Amino acid sequence: MKYIIVAGCGKTGKALAEELCQENNVVVIDRSSQALEELPQDFNGKKIVGDVLDIETLEKAGIKEADVVVLVTGNDNLNLVVGKFIKRKYSKLKKVILQVYELNKKKALSEEGLIIINRTYLLVEVFKKCIS
Amino acid sequence: MYIVIVGGSGLGKLLARKLKEDKHQVCIIDKSKGVCEKIAEELKNIFIICGDASYPNILKEAKLEKADVLVSITPSDEDNIIICNLAKEIFKIKRTVAKVNDPRHLPLYRYMGVDVPVDSTSIIAHIVEEEASFFDVMNLLSIKKGRLSIVRVDIPPTSSIVNKKVREIKLPQDAVLVSILRGTRIIVPKGNTLILADDEVIAATLIDKEKELIQALVGKL
Repeated sequence: MKYIIVAGCGKTGKALAEELCQENNVVVIDRSSQALEELPQDFNGKKIVGDVLDIETLEKAGIKEADVVVLVTGNDNLNLVVGKFIKRKYSKLKKVILQVYELNKKKALSEEGLIIINRTYLLVEVFKKCIS
Repeated sequence: MYIVIVGGSGLGKLLARKLKEDKHQVCIIDKSKGVCEKIAEELKNIFIICGDASYPNILKEAKLEKADVLVSITPSDEDNIIICNLAKEIFKIKRTVAKVNDPRHLPLYRYMGVDVPVDSTSIIAHIVEEEASFFDVMNLLSIKKGRLSIVRVDIPPTSSIVNKKVREIKLPQDAVLVSILRGTRIIVPKGNTLILADDEVIAATLIDKEKELIQALVGKL
């Protein structure tokens, strides 16, 4: 059982939270309370309305105790800034995983310890596998 | 100097104009075509790039590696921080200045190595607070990005320190009286100097002790 924080409750965040909450301790953060309300009935984790650039929100979500943070806000720069910041400040975090849409940014801003997921890159890999 | 400004509406344009007046070389980057066209109409001899500065190739186009300072004043704090980061890490820019849009994001700016985060909201709030207070306090000078300030405080007749000696006044730890202006006289305060009503006191204080200092000099806020 891991303590996982999911930042961003869009399509990916929601699906991920739903999946993860079965076997983990999950906290979801989003700016909009409406987005959080759309989480399914059986979501048993915590919901926090707040701004992830605000340390207070992150600490309210329990970042000091968290094992994993997933950043899927839909904003590349926001994911990158928060990812880099929390990786430096909270040494207890085992994994920081973030989504970045732009392949160029993934290349320019990658750093050790940040797991950056890029859709285009993933799709290309999948297609390559399907072809061979 | 060569200065690259990211964000060209309002503040960016004004800043570019001022820097041009001081004979600096200026480049403005803005995402919006409309904003760029407006700058091109209004300002001469400015390098303008229409694009998203959080992409390294746009910064390269601006010849950022030749810049002395990067100023990022977009309305998005995450963009400002990323742009300053790119400037420092990839282009080795020594000085990055950014506008903090939401004061709650200031700690992140600091943590992410932005050299001069300018928190305009808090600066304005501070000025308004000073102007709105009943007693007369004037901020004369801010040093070290506002961490140390020199203030002038008028001592009202109702203050509890009137007719007291300087050594009897309980000042906060990180504050000191610098001088006393009494009519045309300038007095350097010693332990046994007496404070009179309507004296003007000049004091130096760390910014977070300013309220405490004023309280000690004027009485209740």
